Amino acid sequence: MTEHHDDTLALQTVAQSTYECLRCAFCFDLSWLGTEANLCPSYAWGAFESYGARGRIAIARAILEGELEYDESLISRVFACTECRACSEHCFKYIDTVKIYAQMREDMAKRGLIPPGLAATADVLAEKHNIYDKPHEKRLSWLKDRSRVDKSAPVAFFVGCTPSYVRRTLARDTYAVLDASGIDFTVLSDEWCCGHPFLAAGQRERAAEVMRHNVDVLKSLGVERMVFECPGCMRAFREDIPEVLGEPLPFEVVHVTEELARQVEAGRLQFDVYQSGAVVTYHDPCTLGRGLGIYDAPRTIIEAMPGMRLAEMNRHGRDSYCCGAGSFVRYDFPEFTDQTGVERFREVESTGAQVVLTACPACVTQLQYIRGQIESNVRVLDLISLVKRVGRWR
Amino acid sequence: MDLLKRLRAICGPGHVSDVLADRMCYRRDCGPTPGGVPDIVTRPESTAEVVAIIKAANEARKPIFIWGRATTFVDFGVKEGCIVLALDLMNRILEIDLENQVVTAETGAIWHAVDSELNRLGWEMTVPGGGGMFSCTIGGTVAYNAVPHGITEYGITGGHVVSLEVVLPDGTVIRTGSASNTDAPLNIERGANGTDLAGLFIGSCGTLGVITEVTMRIHRVPECERFLFYAFDNVDDCVDAASAIQSQQAATFLVGLFGGPKPAGVEGEAFLHTIIRDNTAEADRRVRAARICCETFRGRPQDPEGTRRYWTEHMYSWLRNTTASAYYGSRPYYCPEVAGFITTQALKEAIPALHEYVATNADFARTGMRIKGFDVYFSPNAAYLWVDTLYPEFSAEAKEVGLRVRAEIAELLFSRWMSPGGIVAGIAPYIMHRLGTAFELLKTLKAVLDPNSILNPGVLGLGGDND
Repeated sequence: MTEHHDDTLALQTVAQSTYECLRCAFCFDLSWLGTEANLCPSYAWGAFESYGARGRIAIARAILEGELEYDESLISRVFACTECRACSEHCFKYIDTVKIYAQMREDMAKRGLIPPGLAATADVLAEKHNIYDKPHEKRLSWLKDRSRVDKSAPVAFFVGCTPSYVRRTLARDTYAVLDASGIDFTVLSDEWCCGHPFLAAGQRERAAEVMRHNVDVLKSLGVERMVFECPGCMRAFREDIPEVLGEPLPFEVVHVTEELARQVEAGRLQFDVYQSGAVVTYHDPCTLGRGLGIYDAPRTIIEAMPGMRLAEMNRHGRDSYCCGAGSFVRYDFPEFTDQTGVERFREVESTGAQVVLTACPACVTQLQYIRGQIESNVRVLDLISLVKRVGRWR
Repeated sequence: MDLLKRLRAICGPGHVSDVLADRMCYRRDCGPTPGGVPDIVTRPESTAEVVAIIKAANEARKPIFIWGRATTFVDFGVKEGCIVLALDLMNRILEIDLENQVVTAETGAIWHAVDSELNRLGWEMTVPGGGGMFSCTIGGTVAYNAVPHGITEYGITGGHVVSLEVVLPDGTVIRTGSASNTDAPLNIERGANGTDLAGLFIGSCGTLGVITEVTMRIHRVPECERFLFYAFDNVDDCVDAASAIQSQQAATFLVGLFGGPKPAGVEGEAFLHTIIRDNTAEADRRVRAARICCETFRGRPQDPEGTRRYWTEHMYSWLRNTTASAYYGSRPYYCPEVAGFITTQALKEAIPALHEYVATNADFARTGMRIKGFDVYFSPNAAYLWVDTLYPEFSAEAKEVGLRVRAEIAELLFSRWMSPGGIVAGIAPYIMHRLGTAFELLKTLKAVLDPNSILNPGVLGLGGDND
């Protein structure tokens, strides 16, 4: 043990963390919720320990100690992970497990061991600056009023790829909500992807390039504060950019639900009745919750909506179960994504809610897809779209 | 048909793996030393599949290592080239029987998950589980006879077992106690039908059979809980107070701290946490009794909030008034523990001896080793002493020293005062030879029940290379 063979491994940078694992197995399930409470969707799908955090860390140690080499058998074990951070959040030793996985992905990318769907997506992203293979110049096609585009402003709305290209209503709704809030903000005509997909694919240098671009453009407009609807983009800015670029982020970052919750608490935002007597549940997006620590703001908004009752799922808050959307796993592991999504949606249904609210474009997309698959009657709504519909600003 | 194909036919292809990356994940528990790399990992879903795997292993003369959740400190029990029998898929609660006050679960059910289901009904198992309760299995906890929280009133885990279903090393399935009557198989009494066969498997660490179902006693959740925390200026006073509380049967759980970091914000040399669970009137009486015991021996009462949080959250950090994140976070340390039963009064000799050992061992400072604690769970009549040293596992030298320290402490304690509870492989060499004719009987039983030395060979010094 403790022979650390290959100094060129990215995994070396987190070697000490891998030795902190006590192997307690707290990363597998939520025993305080009873006998059927998965915590890790990868472990629930992959079945063997190599798909869970304890197993992945054992693999990492075996690689560091020269007992195992990266090969194709590790592709699903390392990349079939939504990076939901449930393992990290519940780690007895507070190990940043996802950081270990990121280094494994980086090592595997250097060896050409990226799953094909994710690799192709990364190549598209490098060329088009978005993950959907759409023309870059169409990024703002959802926006008719161009008055805020590229204007100098203290606040920037970073739209993100998914709202820009495939959930354009959500982009428009977020824009409208910020506009109604009286915020002086800008949007960028030359916004690029936040870079998170490159990191998911283990391509750090490509991530650095797009991150540098976005930071430079935002700086040129005098931006001091950024507002996000997409938690993945926000986390890329708040957590990844300082780490990848090696410099502090020169902007304050905030999720739109935080902004709106502040307005609710200040009495500036009130709501009309959506549906009298409606029961809703709220799905905590993994990146917004465990990734950014934002659990209360969405609930502050929901609880301020008259005539509506919030029925929490068994697994919520820090115990929330992933919907299966994270880290682009659908491209290569659709069965995993579907299994995870169905398990989550069944939990949604178990609350008796008529509507499931969430606050993430990827989660909305996934939950709507799963709803169709299982023919559920529960509606899926992004919280911001609901605010747009029933919000009244003073 | 080769063995791999046969196992896949038994469990289904998705529940058997010979992929190296999978196998690397099944060679080590919470102990500090990895075992060998198994050849095959299997995940049966039923007792019938367990039986078929064991029969196949016997025919192939291939050893099996039984894997619950591997949250014990058995250490290097996994034999190179063995079959791992991972029981985590056998995790259903089969019956909650409130009338007869028992719960029956498959072996791989998580201990705390079973209790959580019972809690919804206002019930709980009559023993709260050990430190690994959040992730350990009910079958594994019984197989290793874990020392539980609440041992002061409730005693040890195995005492609460009503009956077991066990697959013997030749594939025969037996039931124990009243459940063994094939014409009236009732899970109600362990002592029925003669010899206590359950006792043969409780604590045997899987060497004599595979526990596939467990029936445990349950009771209603007590009406109230009370907490006390006292500091003492010396070990002797603390031990005498604990001894008095034991005599008064005042505590549900009595935990003593005699080494390692002191509780934050508290002065003293030794400390007692007391947890009392009962109906309100009786709990109040027991609180008064415990207070008198502590104050008679010059104990100083402290804020028991840490005690309460320890009990409700089951995080050891609170024994020292410390949050879990501060206590466990950023600590690249590993724990090669030595633990065992000792008389309460013998703590007055053993604790100073341990302090002297540490003070005169230069390796601690040189390698960055620490004392996590000389902590004691008091049983109804004795003490269960945990000697936890921590070493930075990232350092090969520190690990070597850590294992040597474990050996020296085991030798010191087992030769004078102590007998271990759950016997981990790392300390088995320091205790089994001391068991004399009892160990000879264990070896005979192993040879008779498991002539091919299939089940967990080498664990407890039984079978395998030990023959």
